[in-house]
Amino acid sequence: MIKLLVGISLREWGIIRKHPIYWFCLGVFPVVVILLFTSLMSEGQPTALPVGIVDHDHTAVSRGLVRKLDAFQNSKVVAHYTSVAEARKAVQENDIYAFLYIPKGMTEEMMALRQPSLSFYYSNVTLLAGSSLFKDLKTVCTLLTANVGATKLAAMGKTPREIEQFLQPIVVDLHMIGNPWANYNVYLSTIMVPGLLMLFIMLLTPYVVGTEMKFGTVDQWLEAANQRVGVAVAGKLLPYTLVFLLVFYGYEWYILRVLHFPAQGGVMAAACVGLLAVLAAQGLGLFMFAVMPSLRMSMSMCSLWAMLGFSLCGATYPVFAMDSMIEGIAQLFPLRHYYMVYQMAVFNGYPLSYCWMNVAALLLFAFLPWVAFRPLKHALRNYVYTP
Amino acid sequence: MERIGISQWIGSVLHVCSEEMRRVCKDEGALMFFILVPLLYPLLYAWIYNNEVVREVPVAVVDCSHSHESRLFLRMFDASPDTRVAYYCNNLEEARDLVARQVVKGVLYFPTDYSLQLRRGEQATVGVYCDMSLMLTYKAIFQTAQTVALRHNGEIQVALSGAMTERDEELTVHPIQIEEVPIYNATGGYGNAILPAVLVLVLQQTLLLGIGLLAGSERERLRSGKGFATVGAEDGMVSFIVGRALCYFLLYVVMAAYVTLCVPRFFHFTVLSTAIPLLALLIPYLLACVFLGMAVAHFVRYRENVILLVVFTSVPLLFLSGVSWPKSNFPACWHYISMLFPSTFGIRGFLKVNSMGASLADIRMECMALWAHAVVYFFLAYASFRKLKKQESQLPE
Repeated sequence: MIKLLVGISLREWGIIRKHPIYWFCLGVFPVVVILLFTSLMSEGQPTALPVGIVDHDHTAVSRGLVRKLDAFQNSKVVAHYTSVAEARKAVQENDIYAFLYIPKGMTEEMMALRQPSLSFYYSNVTLLAGSSLFKDLKTVCTLLTANVGATKLAAMGKTPREIEQFLQPIVVDLHMIGNPWANYNVYLSTIMVPGLLMLFIMLLTPYVVGTEMKFGTVDQWLEAANQRVGVAVAGKLLPYTLVFLLVFYGYEWYILRVLHFPAQGGVMAAACVGLLAVLAAQGLGLFMFAVMPSLRMSMSMCSLWAMLGFSLCGATYPVFAMDSMIEGIAQLFPLRHYYMVYQMAVFNGYPLSYCWMNVAALLLFAFLPWVAFRPLKHALRNYVYTP
Repeated sequence: MERIGISQWIGSVLHVCSEEMRRVCKDEGALMFFILVPLLYPLLYAWIYNNEVVREVPVAVVDCSHSHESRLFLRMFDASPDTRVAYYCNNLEEARDLVARQVVKGVLYFPTDYSLQLRRGEQATVGVYCDMSLMLTYKAIFQTAQTVALRHNGEIQVALSGAMTERDEELTVHPIQIEEVPIYNATGGYGNAILPAVLVLVLQQTLLLGIGLLAGSERERLRSGKGFATVGAEDGMVSFIVGRALCYFLLYVVMAAYVTLCVPRFFHFTVLSTAIPLLALLIPYLLACVFLGMAVAHFVRYRENVILLVVFTSVPLLFLSGVSWPKSNFPACWHYISMLFPSTFGIRGFLKVNSMGASLADIRMECMALWAHAVVYFFLAYASFRKLKKQESQLPE
């Protein structure tokens, strides 16, 4: 049996060498995708986001406020506008993501304790930019408020420690477990890239089995396996398993050893999760083909499954916040289980036993083709290719 | 080739258009990508993000101080819409175990001397431990903790300052009235931010897939000698291309109207678009996508290869449009590569028109870029079809 397996794998390797599409899907595109996401967000946090200022006060205090805002990491003052309407138009034209409005006489009213108002306007259309700038703008405005109190207390003769204790009796001591820099590269690349790799695997699996049907070489293929469908399919998919394992482990090596992404789980957890992901994607792809032996239909279903997986995995918008029916549907997608296992075992470093249900789900996906083995056998022997 | 009159040219265009319509209707795959996917996929997507924001994030509490002040903090923290206190633990190890089992997303820790330090007039610390696997939950927990701490600080300051009147108290806590105004996507909703981009991208991707599928069939038939692709190009390649483009354009005018006008309204997402900017944006966008599809379709050897080539580009193109990661922070090479795709400008323009109520003047750059795309890809499609015709003429009859 091993000899048959190896024979079919070598035959498959010959097919791969002949068609450029395989080189692209197995090598070029995965590498491009890995490099795209990791280099696009290489900054980690978006820095120097453009902010506008509408300063009607024109005093030392207001200018100091603007300089302080500019000094913050996430924001950069790019323009001063003469009116709020002009600044709003700049937001509409995507020149700035937020602006600070300092009304006329603010410093004067502040000194005279007449409670002036200070406002900032931020656009949530790009959520990441909006929330980063909200944080900076809120901090700089709160600092100004605190400054008023601090100046008064200093004049009264309080020590800096006393001033601190008066202004901020309760301090929030934040611990960001696992990703202390709130690095978006760590957060997004570790789900987008595996999702796309699993997409390639899920698309290629029905493709390679279906093209045998398309080109009428099924008989030759089954002949090489002594008419044993299980051996034929296993031998055919084995080169792809090996190549995709190589790609996946290459990606993990790149992010963990080259880019030094935080991962408290260690090598074994990462290796485990990579193997499970590749097998689960292949299993689901083959199952789709067995259930719908039309090449185009099975590939379309696989692409739908993979694309929906990006949203339903709950890595960006959490699954517990979605409608309860969708929470249930989300369990049908392998990327959801991959994300849970990655996040619990690799990122946070908890033992795999905590996510045993998700590991079991991934194994279930990997063994799905056994469930549809008879239909697959029937399809390979009897079905004809339909465009 | 003899010169033909305008009416004959138009007739030829319409003939090619109707032939193409017939071809599309006979091709199940193309029909699925042209009609079924744009109809159903946006609905599914919008349903997933319909709740928009994350509410009632469960948090575990380790309250070692067991004091009035810590309970006050916790009551306010629980009262916030974004978070809720789900578990009380005896120590951090227990709380960590809860985080490991995914039942809570963060931990609040009060040290034993929390109340004592507050009453002594020293700084008291509240430990906030956030699981960073989800940014939205981290934000919910941290921002709520900050807000509650600020409110408490204000109350303590008022008590200590010995203010005489209520106005005095107000001035102690808020010497400046700070207003935070979220303009555009005022709800801060995730669906509102992502959905317009996805809707516009679906139009481009399904067009590319459908045109690629049809072109793949053509190439296969050509190779097997079963037919000629450029039947109808006798009156000139330009009328042939315009005719085919007209067919796809007519189909997609309907799809684009459904996707941009109906879908956001079904799910009550923000819709600030007006007729003229929307038309001025979508017409060149659809034309650019159609010509791009026609230009690259004939590189596809086999029909199903187009699915392998186009589907995976959806997520990268979404990122390259600047909707997740701000475009001001793109490295230069990705910035230039993003300009090759109509979806980049289409998404940016649609976000401006739909979510920010932009006028024609505000989207002039996107419109000009899309018209430039349409022209360039038209010429590329022309070159591609000429090559195809040459290949056909070299085949034995």
